[in-house]
Amino acid sequence: MASIILPGPRRGIQDQIGRLHWPLIIMLSMIAGAGVATLYSVGGGSWTPWAGTHALRFAISMGAMIFVGFIGIRYWMFLSYPIYVVALVALALVPFIGDVNMGARRWIDLGPMQFQPSELMKIGIVLALARYYHGLRAEQVSHILFLIPPLIMIAAPVGLVFLQPDLGTAIMIGATGVAIMVLAGLSWRLIFLGGLAAVGGAIAAFRFGVLHDYQLKRIFTFLDPDSDPLGAGYHLLQSKIGIGSGGLVGKGYMMGTQRELNFLPEMQTDFIFTIFSEEFGFVGAFGLLLVYLAVILTGINIALRARSHFARLAALGVTVTFALYVLINTGMVMGLAPVVGVPLPLVSYGGTVMLTIMIGFGIAMSAHMSRDPDGTTL
Amino acid sequence: MNTRVNSNDPEKIEIISRRAAIFGGGFGLLLAGIGARLFQLQVVDHQKYMRLAQENQFNTRILAPLRGEIVDRYGRTLASNRQNFRVLLIPDEAGDVEEALAKIRSYVAISDEKHAKILREVRRTQGYAPVEVVNNLEWDDFSKVNFELPHLPGAHPEVSETRDYPLGNATAFVIGYVGAVTDRDLQSPENDNQQLLLRQPGFKVGRDGLERTYEKELRGVAGTVDVKVNAHGRVIEEIEDSVKPSVQGATLGLTIDADLQLAAMKTLEGESASAVVIDIETGDILVLASTPAFDPNIFTKGIPTELWTELNESPYKPLLNKPLGGIYPPGSTFKMVTAIAAMRSGISPSFRVHCNGKFWYGNRFFHCWRKEGHGTVDMKGSIKHSCDTFFYTCATQIDVDIIADTARKLGLGESYELGVPGQHSGVVPDRAWKKRFYAGTPENQIWFPGETLSVAIGQGSVSATPLQLAVMAARIASGRAVRPRIVRFRGELELPTPTATRIDIAEEHLAIVRDGMNAVVNEPGGTAVRSAFDNKEWKLAGKTGTSQVYRITAEERARGLTKPEDLPWQRRDHALFVCFAPYEAPRYACAVVVEHGIGGARMAGPKAKEIMTAVMAKDPARLKPMSPGALAKTADAAVGG
Repeated sequence: MASIILPGPRRGIQDQIGRLHWPLIIMLSMIAGAGVATLYSVGGGSWTPWAGTHALRFAISMGAMIFVGFIGIRYWMFLSYPIYVVALVALALVPFIGDVNMGARRWIDLGPMQFQPSELMKIGIVLALARYYHGLRAEQVSHILFLIPPLIMIAAPVGLVFLQPDLGTAIMIGATGVAIMVLAGLSWRLIFLGGLAAVGGAIAAFRFGVLHDYQLKRIFTFLDPDSDPLGAGYHLLQSKIGIGSGGLVGKGYMMGTQRELNFLPEMQTDFIFTIFSEEFGFVGAFGLLLVYLAVILTGINIALRARSHFARLAALGVTVTFALYVLINTGMVMGLAPVVGVPLPLVSYGGTVMLTIMIGFGIAMSAHMSRDPDGTTL
Repeated sequence: MNTRVNSNDPEKIEIISRRAAIFGGGFGLLLAGIGARLFQLQVVDHQKYMRLAQENQFNTRILAPLRGEIVDRYGRTLASNRQNFRVLLIPDEAGDVEEALAKIRSYVAISDEKHAKILREVRRTQGYAPVEVVNNLEWDDFSKVNFELPHLPGAHPEVSETRDYPLGNATAFVIGYVGAVTDRDLQSPENDNQQLLLRQPGFKVGRDGLERTYEKELRGVAGTVDVKVNAHGRVIEEIEDSVKPSVQGATLGLTIDADLQLAAMKTLEGESASAVVIDIETGDILVLASTPAFDPNIFTKGIPTELWTELNESPYKPLLNKPLGGIYPPGSTFKMVTAIAAMRSGISPSFRVHCNGKFWYGNRFFHCWRKEGHGTVDMKGSIKHSCDTFFYTCATQIDVDIIADTARKLGLGESYELGVPGQHSGVVPDRAWKKRFYAGTPENQIWFPGETLSVAIGQGSVSATPLQLAVMAARIASGRAVRPRIVRFRGELELPTPTATRIDIAEEHLAIVRDGMNAVVNEPGGTAVRSAFDNKEWKLAGKTGTSQVYRITAEERARGLTKPEDLPWQRRDHALFVCFAPYEAPRYACAVVVEHGIGGARMAGPKAKEIMTAVMAKDPARLKPMSPGALAKTADAAVGG
């Protein structure tokens, strides 16, 4: 155990910077740059209220990512369970001390800053499950006894977040957790049974009214969006009009009519991909998707080259979270997924999610920077 | 028990590598799916969504036309449109209403009282419903608000039109008024294809008078403009080259002389009365006055219920267009008709009758208005003194059908095409009329000779409107079938002056009657010598009339009730006066009726004199009326939004 807390040989800062995964930093910056540009347009050609803040937040988050990356991956493994427990306790406390916002209680007010335990849990679940599977032998992964702890680790935060209520985040946390279990080597038989159980659970959720009316409405709207163009399906239809009218090369930067005319709600957050697609067209939007794919593949590549099982699973976990964000958000604005309020990572306005994602990539960066056998391997 | 797990167990590495590859491939496929969807929306279905985006942005707005103006014979405005600049506030868009109001207040004045009222209104209504913040703004303030609009959340400046009647109640019965569109209007076949226009907020249609009759002409033609709107339907900009301008409604040029109309209204003030003045030469109605009258400017904004009840229940009938719709027994003003009928039946103008105050006929006495009698009177004298006995005597010798025919030739019993609704044709009784009137009860259809005696002095079944009495005076004065009119032109279309042919009555008969009417006013002993013009240059010829509303019973007479002043107002006799001037070369004819005015000589005559003095002083026939050609300039200026 002692080797875990012993620092490795100190490296010069120059050396450390050289070891950063620069392609990843550049790709993340490109994506955030697209976000700043789009927010500048959404703001009507103004740095306020969104674009300037977004750029500043990205700079801070980038600093946080590099800081997290500089810390050896073994420290993160050491901290994984404590982080998970803190996040879980905070989630449990939200109903009692949280602030109500838009009908949901998600935040804890810490005086100068607000703290969203569900965001911390997105990191916590990845770290805790990675730590858990780090200690299992391959044949133990699909053993029924060893299934129980990870399922509880996933179910507890998912249940608490769902009760806030925040269906989108609950799905994100649950999906990330399940993905790590699968990545860790869960047998295909169990995956199949789990899939059946998930479908059954979803049907039960419908039948027994676990979901709120607005959540049901969103799902029905997703199934038949054109049925109610001025009601719940209105935003989705407007979003499709925005994307479709962009055409091959777009209407031009700052020329989006759907944006200009305020047809879309939450243009700066959930529907920002619509604005981007309207103004930059298929060429721009497809290009952005390719950058996202490159980031995802980079994350997987880092994981596969990492030196420990924890590092591999942690890097994959944060990559999966990132990929889910991208898929759900872009699917949502094009009518391929229900409108569940998931932002487009690094493009949508919003500091907490950005920080979560960048800290996540910080973990991957840490895995990347700790990859070489230098006596510090666990 | 647990041996240290090898983190880099090759089996674990192999599994995770395989699974990670599957995930990578899966994400790649899913993103390819997203890309395919993107391709479908942006490339394959681009046209469809482009069209939807256009529809989102563009909306066709109706440009309501300006309502046509109504002007008097010289072009003076009787009905026009006043722009009402106002600012509405939509609380939902404003966010913090108090702050939004404070911002608006820095550009236009809003009193503290009004401010409090707005806040109450905002609390009371739904957040999306606009609340009026200020109205009747000056253009400067209004344009300031428009200019600062980006900094005024929730503010909606708006220009609305208000119909304005500068003469107020003086022209209420001629012009009528406009009112809000009803469901009935929307369903009316006349309004086919006009629904969009009628549904414009604040759009008004003619509810009464010429406003109603000439609705089609006055309304104009709606224009359209394509506008760019946002999701809230708020207009972002108008597409300039898409404007199809609205066309203002046609201007109506009336025969009315606004000055004389006002003068007549002033003369009649305080009475339930009407006055009509006609240009004998052209038939132009110069004055059509009715008192008391309502203020159409209030009616246009929506009639308050209390006011409506009050007007409806008033004994002075302020909602009745008395010159056209009020029917009165003409009383002695009918005696010219009887006199002419008598002469047409062969009775000589020099025929004399001795009047001792009453006339025995059938089985009862018919009384002359002068109890002590008139002594011996001839045709002219009978008119001068208004001797009932003379006409009773004639009535026994002539047929009622001749009287009725004469009355019709002189313009009674007819309604004229004026365009003002609510005209009554009155009753000119004869045998055929009685048959029609009692169609259901044949036993009542027989004409009794005694009835002819009542008709001969303008009582019984005979009734006429003040307009008809004025036409009668005009026809007696000119010997021509003068037809009244009130609309001179409609837009560019000048309506021809009706040609008045000679009426089929001998000139010498008319001359006797005119001589009698001159004597009524200008000879000592005439019943209306008080009504002679003060200016001796012109002579007024006229005839008084007092028509019975209530017969004082023998019992009441026994109780000592003889003076009409002792009767309640509603039972007093009507006072009438018909006249023309100048006597030697007649140009203007006039009728005045004062309801329950007790006596024509004391109540109606002096008012007619006052009105005719004003008419003669101005002599509108000398003045050139406005020609519709003068409209062209104003019409060009009026086209547009």
